[in-house]
Amino acid sequence: MNDRLRDIGPFVPGGDDDLIICRCEEVTKGEIRQAVHEGMFTMPEIRRYLRCGMGLCQGQTCARLVKGIVAAELHIASSEVEPASSRGPVRPTEMSTLGNEEEA
Amino acid sequence: MKRYNLIVVGAGPAGLCAGIEAAKRGMSVILFDENEKPGGQLFKQIHKFFGSKEHKAKIRGFKIGEQLLQEASAAGVEVKLNATVTGLYPDKEIMVMHDGKMHDGKMHHYKGDSIIIATGAAENMVPFENWTLPGVIGAGAAQTLMNLHGVKPGNRILMLGSGNVGLVVSFQLLQAGCEVAALVDAAPRIGGYGVHAAKVARTGVPFYLSHTIIKAEGTDHVTGVVIGKVDDHFKTIPGTEKHFDVDTICIAVGLSPMSQLLKMSGCSMEDNPRRGGEVPVVDEYGETSVPLLFAAGDVSGIEEASSAMIKGRMAGIRAAYELGFCKENETENSLEKCAADLGSLRQGMFAPGNKGKLIEKTEEGIPVSMNLLTNGFVAEDEIVHFPGVTSQKGIHPVIECTQNIPCNPCQDACVKHCIKIGSHITSLPVVENPAPCTGCGLCVASCSGQAIFLVNENYEPGFASVTIPYEFLPLPGKGDKGKGLGRDGKPVCDAEIVDIKSIPAFDHTNLVTMKVPAEFAMKARFFKAV
Amino acid sequence: MKTTADVIVIGAGIVGCSTAYYLAKKGMSVIVLEGSNYIGNGGSSRNGGGVRQSGRNPKELPLMIWGVKNIWPSLSEELGVDTEYKQKGNLRLGKTDRHLEILTKLTDNAVKCGLDVKMINASEVKEINPYLSDEVIGASWCATDGHANPLTTTLGFYKKARELGVQFYTDCSVTMLHTVSGKIRQVITPEAVFESDNVVVAAGFESKTLLDGVGINIPMSKVKLECLVTEAEPQMFEQMLGTADADFYGHQTKHGSFVFGGHTGYERYAIDYANPCSSSSFASCASRGIMKYFPILKDAKIVRAWAGFMDECADQVATVSKIDEIPGLYVECSFTGHGFGIGPAAGYNTAELIATGKTPADIQPLRYDRFKTAI
Repeated sequence: MNDRLRDIGPFVPGGDDDLIICRCEEVTKGEIRQAVHEGMFTMPEIRRYLRCGMGLCQGQTCARLVKGIVAAELHIASSEVEPASSRGPVRPTEMSTLGNEEEA
Repeated sequence: MKRYNLIVVGAGPAGLCAGIEAAKRGMSVILFDENEKPGGQLFKQIHKFFGSKEHKAKIRGFKIGEQLLQEASAAGVEVKLNATVTGLYPDKEIMVMHDGKMHDGKMHHYKGDSIIIATGAAENMVPFENWTLPGVIGAGAAQTLMNLHGVKPGNRILMLGSGNVGLVVSFQLLQAGCEVAALVDAAPRIGGYGVHAAKVARTGVPFYLSHTIIKAEGTDHVTGVVIGKVDDHFKTIPGTEKHFDVDTICIAVGLSPMSQLLKMSGCSMEDNPRRGGEVPVVDEYGETSVPLLFAAGDVSGIEEASSAMIKGRMAGIRAAYELGFCKENETENSLEKCAADLGSLRQGMFAPGNKGKLIEKTEEGIPVSMNLLTNGFVAEDEIVHFPGVTSQKGIHPVIECTQNIPCNPCQDACVKHCIKIGSHITSLPVVENPAPCTGCGLCVASCSGQAIFLVNENYEPGFASVTIPYEFLPLPGKGDKGKGLGRDGKPVCDAEIVDIKSIPAFDHTNLVTMKVPAEFAMKARFFKAV
Repeated sequence: MKTTADVIVIGAGIVGCSTAYYLAKKGMSVIVLEGSNYIGNGGSSRNGGGVRQSGRNPKELPLMIWGVKNIWPSLSEELGVDTEYKQKGNLRLGKTDRHLEILTKLTDNAVKCGLDVKMINASEVKEINPYLSDEVIGASWCATDGHANPLTTTLGFYKKARELGVQFYTDCSVTMLHTVSGKIRQVITPEAVFESDNVVVAAGFESKTLLDGVGINIPMSKVKLECLVTEAEPQMFEQMLGTADADFYGHQTKHGSFVFGGHTGYERYAIDYANPCSSSSFASCASRGIMKYFPILKDAKIVRAWAGFMDECADQVATVSKIDEIPGLYVECSFTGHGFGIGPAAGYNTAELIATGKTPADIQPLRYDRFKTAI
């Protein structure tokens, strides 16, 4: 059971809050930290709220970094942050290609 | 829709070895890789590999990739390159995009009785001010640019990360004709093999341990970088800033498994920092919680190519056994042998169990070189303690291999048995004294770490000769004059090239012999023309 | 740990979160219990983003029309998040005469309820959306329909509810409900028993088991649906799109990416994994369908396809209702895949119902006991 009102301390502005973390969607460290304080404690929630991990690389570059930032705000280990899911197609694929299925 | 006994995703060392073992036991095997060349990370490894003969030591990485592909084809594995597996679906079904060109791409469906995912890992990034400027790239990406496409990643480069990737790629950047301004790591000690660091340090690249990047400079591309020293909490210490003019910053801060296909399958995953991140929960053969779905190689835990090959073999054998393609006792023997091989690789100073630990003495009781760990080169007063370093009359090998790593090609290279490691593969190499050395140089070329030199302290009155491994172009010419550089890359004496030897047996490791004043026989370890 | 409140809401999707928010706004204490580890993890985060009145069963129209008038226009401001609500109309497309018949019937019924929807011909369709192919022979057009971002909207309600002190527990699966002295009272979870005189069941398909346990049967099936999303494309059109057969729907988001949902026809027969699993046939099938309508999108790259479950009602209509036979129990479920647009209105009206006994919109047709046999 996860208490979403548990006290994680206040949001303290940091000197590097304008550092871009998700390059594909240009989401900054400050936005991620702030989102945690607005209640987004898990990777799927952060992704849906801010779009980090929704770009062309689908989080390949930023997921690890975002996890670390979320964990730091929650005062837990990075490995304890609930991960986001992976879905196909795992490489961006044109509609014309995806629709072009080989005859069985 | 075609159905195979085994589908393998990834034609790297793990995937190819898995396919080989399965096909040898009669399974129908199809193997997919999204790249146009096989071998995974192997296809861009131009350096010689470590280990023993069984582990393909002394062979250059890209050759191992080609060899494995030939073995796989010979065993009957259907290998499809330029084939991207876009998803793993219920019923062990995959979708593959063949020949992914804009309008010719076609999607194919395949089903497997078993599937082995061997998709490897991708590079980590570390954000710092202006890290999104063009010119900040992964070390692996730099390697692909140079070694696959023949393109210099930049002209003047700073490398962040002193693990094997950072060290090896730094050397390859030098080989490609780039300048490496500095090698930086926030850790207090070098993470990779000492010999990889030493061959970079002796060319003059400075190492900055306990330093981190503060910011990159530039408006639309990198023009410079500022680093600073860090304290015990990895916070930068004001006043320690150092600036370098560079156009490229290479990031080598570790890899994360590319486990997307496994996650799609719904198998149990765990976030294990010691295995590199999100990995599937697997048994000792690599089988996940989904029966007959396996993971092998870096995707199940970051190690390196030799372990990946063995893990691949184990998964292939196990899949064959579970589907009735081989009998129990044959399987057990094969799997036990693999486990033993894997065990022998995971020994020594860099064993997974030793990660993060400060090893202060070698297995032989010799103090490990702290200077090597913090500056990238063994200090003069430290090198004399090692059994590979002796002072003798006449030409003899000087082996500056100072860490226990599982590696022994030098022992087999010398037909006169000058070099001894013994059955314990991590033991430090010992040079016989006196050594019946003929100066053939095979040992120098056989050392993947480029840590063996031939020294003749009595070459000429007042002069010694030092034969160094040389993998740079252009080669110096006989009679060229220049400077001998010390292990720290600083010029220590005048030097003249007296011989250059390049024979097929050396496999592109040229032997360059320089004449130096006698007192520098144990000091000069690299050559720079003036 | 807090185990009692004025109201307990089961389910933290758009419906549960909006209900909790509107209750908290009225000064009531609320506990929300979510079985998964995530807020809005069900249909709320997986749907096609439609905020539409047209194409609905007339029973839902009073609530939906009320929602479009009273909630959606100011929602972003109220929640302090960008719901990306865009009210640029809804085209429900037809390719065959049969389609046009279906659309005409829907349109006529909706007009009777006061909705501004009308049938338009092929050239009028092309005027509104020039990217559509010649396959489209007509459509219904409702100018006050639109679309929004279901992810930010759901999480926005959560964020605001939390700010107002609503207690959210995730990874807290409700196993059963108990009445005490004939009234709803206890909500049982593995770790604790929660108690309240008011319980709202807003748990999608999982509402069924909970309600069955207290003798209330809402006839629902769990059906899988799949969607996909492209990379960002230059802005092409602003309308919400759907079809007569409801087999294709989608819109272009503020980000520029297109979100589309579709059908393979085999969704009902999918293996039931707890986590909705993507099928190997959907993305290809949907791509072909989309390209037939929008040839211009053939080179758009698809970055992700996902699946979700809808709680399909026997009559395809939502259930938003007080359960009279069990005082204190309320239900908001069976939204049959079109719950996002109507969710906030359902939440608001349920909150009002609990607080005042009255609702601003007419939800009588959505009663829990409406299910009668045909003969």
